[in-house]
Amino acid sequence: MSILSDLLFETRVAASSLADYVTGTGLRLGVTGLSRAGKTVFITALVQNLLRASTAAKDGERVLPVFRVHAEGRLMRAKLQPQPDDHVPRFAYEDHLAALTGEDRHWPESTRRISELRLTLEFERRKGFRQGPSELTIDIVDYPGEWLLDLPLLTKSYAQWSRETLEASAAAARAPFAADWRGATLGVAADADESETEAKRLAELFTTYLRAARAETYALSTLPPGRFLMPGELEGSPALTFAPLRVDEGMEFGAGSLAAMMERRYEAYKAHVVKPFFRDHFARLDRQIVLVDALSALNSGPAAVRDLETALSEILVAFRAGRSGFLSTIFRPKIDRILFAATKADHLHHTSHDRLENILRLLTARAIARAEDVGAHVDVVALAAVRATREARVKQGRMPFGDRSELEAIVGVPLPGERIDGETFDGKGEVAIFPGELPADPKAVFRGDGLGAPEGAADYRFVRFRPPVPRLAKDGAPLPLPSIRLDRALEFLLGDRLP
Amino acid sequence: MNGEERQRPRAFRLDDERIVVADGETPAPDNLRQDKLRKGGVVVETTPDAFAPGDETNEPRDDEEATEIAQSRGMLARALFSWGGLLWSALGGLVSMALGLWATRIVEDLFARSAALGWIGVGLASLFVVALLALGLREMRAIFRQRHIAHLHGALARARDADDRDAARAGAGELLSLYANRPDTARARALVKDLTREIVDGRDLIDIAERNLMAPLDQEANREIAAAAKRVSMVTAISPRALVDILFVGAQAIRLLRRIAEIYGGRPGLLGFVRLARSVGAHLAITGGMAVGDTLVQQVVGHGIAARLSAKLGEGVLNGMLTTRIGLSAMAVCRPMPFAALKQPGVKDVAPFLFGDGK
Repeated sequence: MSILSDLLFETRVAASSLADYVTGTGLRLGVTGLSRAGKTVFITALVQNLLRASTAAKDGERVLPVFRVHAEGRLMRAKLQPQPDDHVPRFAYEDHLAALTGEDRHWPESTRRISELRLTLEFERRKGFRQGPSELTIDIVDYPGEWLLDLPLLTKSYAQWSRETLEASAAAARAPFAADWRGATLGVAADADESETEAKRLAELFTTYLRAARAETYALSTLPPGRFLMPGELEGSPALTFAPLRVDEGMEFGAGSLAAMMERRYEAYKAHVVKPFFRDHFARLDRQIVLVDALSALNSGPAAVRDLETALSEILVAFRAGRSGFLSTIFRPKIDRILFAATKADHLHHTSHDRLENILRLLTARAIARAEDVGAHVDVVALAAVRATREARVKQGRMPFGDRSELEAIVGVPLPGERIDGETFDGKGEVAIFPGELPADPKAVFRGDGLGAPEGAADYRFVRFRPPVPRLAKDGAPLPLPSIRLDRALEFLLGDRLP
Repeated sequence: MNGEERQRPRAFRLDDERIVVADGETPAPDNLRQDKLRKGGVVVETTPDAFAPGDETNEPRDDEEATEIAQSRGMLARALFSWGGLLWSALGGLVSMALGLWATRIVEDLFARSAALGWIGVGLASLFVVALLALGLREMRAIFRQRHIAHLHGALARARDADDRDAARAGAGELLSLYANRPDTARARALVKDLTREIVDGRDLIDIAERNLMAPLDQEANREIAAAAKRVSMVTAISPRALVDILFVGAQAIRLLRRIAEIYGGRPGLLGFVRLARSVGAHLAITGGMAVGDTLVQQVVGHGIAARLSAKLGEGVLNGMLTTRIGLSAMAVCRPMPFAALKQPGVKDVAPFLFGDGK
């Protein structure tokens, strides 16, 4: 039975990729990252830069210098197309752009669910058989990174998952806020009679625990199942009303017991939530960018950084990375390029960007090794999709610390409520901020077990800024938003398809 | 931490009255700045934007671009199909079939006379086939090596531009294996090999490799070019007939191309030579009449003075300069890495005697 269903599943994956191949020469670009990593801002900035690049070039602005197809003047036009998949929401590009560049500029709402956007680039081909005008259709698929954490569940049984989740909750970093749920779970016998109220109570406690771990002060990444935090339309359905129990692998529970009910729901979650996502969206990606908010984890402390590393390597297990050949392009697309991007690089001075990249490289080392083994290209970049700061040097007369009197700082308008150096900001005036220096040795950020470090204790502190004031082109619409290394990311992800 | 003094995160409100904001364009008056600094105030100076798409980040590197285009036209050219290619392949097929027929007939005739003669014929024919295969194999290897060098050139240029450590290491590794059987590069190879294991930035690694591995080869190539130029100008100056000049210049140019290809990465073979010549031609065409690093004035003056002395001598100088340029183009095209840390030599650097100094 299971072999048959696996076979069926693979056939459907192959069928949908064949359909993709026949219907157009497109590229599916997956954009993911754990929540608050900056997915929405990244996509908005990417699309806006591409849409406005040629207009900006006419105005004499130089944008995206590293993105070759544009720098060589071969990018004619970019335009948004109607969303091709009728059952997937469209990425609300216009709303997000309005939020970023509108009167009261603010960061757009975050990704709660999957969404898609189709963009067509018209460019001049310079190499290959068909030189001259050509098109590339890019489907940008935006989905929460938490959902990726679910993919490993496909191979795990309920008992195995229960055991692993309970073990993870006992770790020092999580123990304090896991206590409630842990206590309740350990107090429940697996072979008790099934009860909806009991299941609901446990599921709620479990969700509360997951949510607490994700809270900003701790910035721990998430454990599966990812939909508990982002239920979407499934909220309250039985497929989301289950929780781990104290069960051992190989244990038998009679029909009608609580454990049997939980197991059934766990399997339903896999069948109705995880598998469709994998088949309809994830398995069809060609390129992937994983956005990582390393700065929040660094703000929180070493334990959060280690936790982020675990989550990232879990995510990467899911990728079907590998070099794509002709047949595999048709039947089993594989992700042949993965870019890890440390977002919000504008929160620190550019002299520290190399250190940030090194930290990210270390965080994703396991994942990178695995992807490179199977022939995928992997790169790491520190970027800011929308650059909210500029750089400055602060000179001080008296020297309260050390013998240096110059600080490499960044200048921007911090969000209201951000704190640094004992000051709280109101979100109005510009402030020059020296966020501290990242350690030269990237391993240093893993040492120790601080978590939710209070402001004032850490060596560095990254505050968040308001979006920049948009500059307008001659036609009244905003110029491409300022960015850091967005062009490098574009070149890596799309460059080889725009020869 | 680690005993090293870390600076604490700090914030400075720009609307604070103790703070002077100095823009890059309108610097705060010096006295005001000094004043504030003395009173414990703070000056915030806007620094130039590191990410502004400046001209220097994307400067057109003409020489490098010319070299890469030239390489792609000859050494890297890979036309899957062309009518010309079809024509020659078909003709070649016919000719070889005719030859085969002829050989078979001879062997048959020999057998008809005596079995011993027949076997000798078979033996000779198979020796011919073996030698042909060996030659073909050598040609293939030469062409692959040439392509490899051209690819390496591009890869190293990109790695250097992007300061990509991994790509630089990979490129340096290939460079080392390219020269692995050259005893004279042993020391340089050992140095570069050690560095690839250490933490060196991509760009620095490539520069070090260039300075150590390429410099001796460059010098050798320069010597060859100079010698060829000297010979050509001498022979042209004293030769009685124009036809002799042309033949001699042509022969010298061919010899020079082969020699330079050998210096940088092995014999080009016959087909390889044709491809190399195409690349050099393209390079000459792109860089135009003006060779890299030269000025028109030099050429006119150089030629002018010589020509005034004697028409024949002037021709000699001109031919020498032509040879030098061919040599320099060949050097640019054959070199497995771009000129970056080392300066690309010009006609005057290689053949100063053409301009009257030290002749």
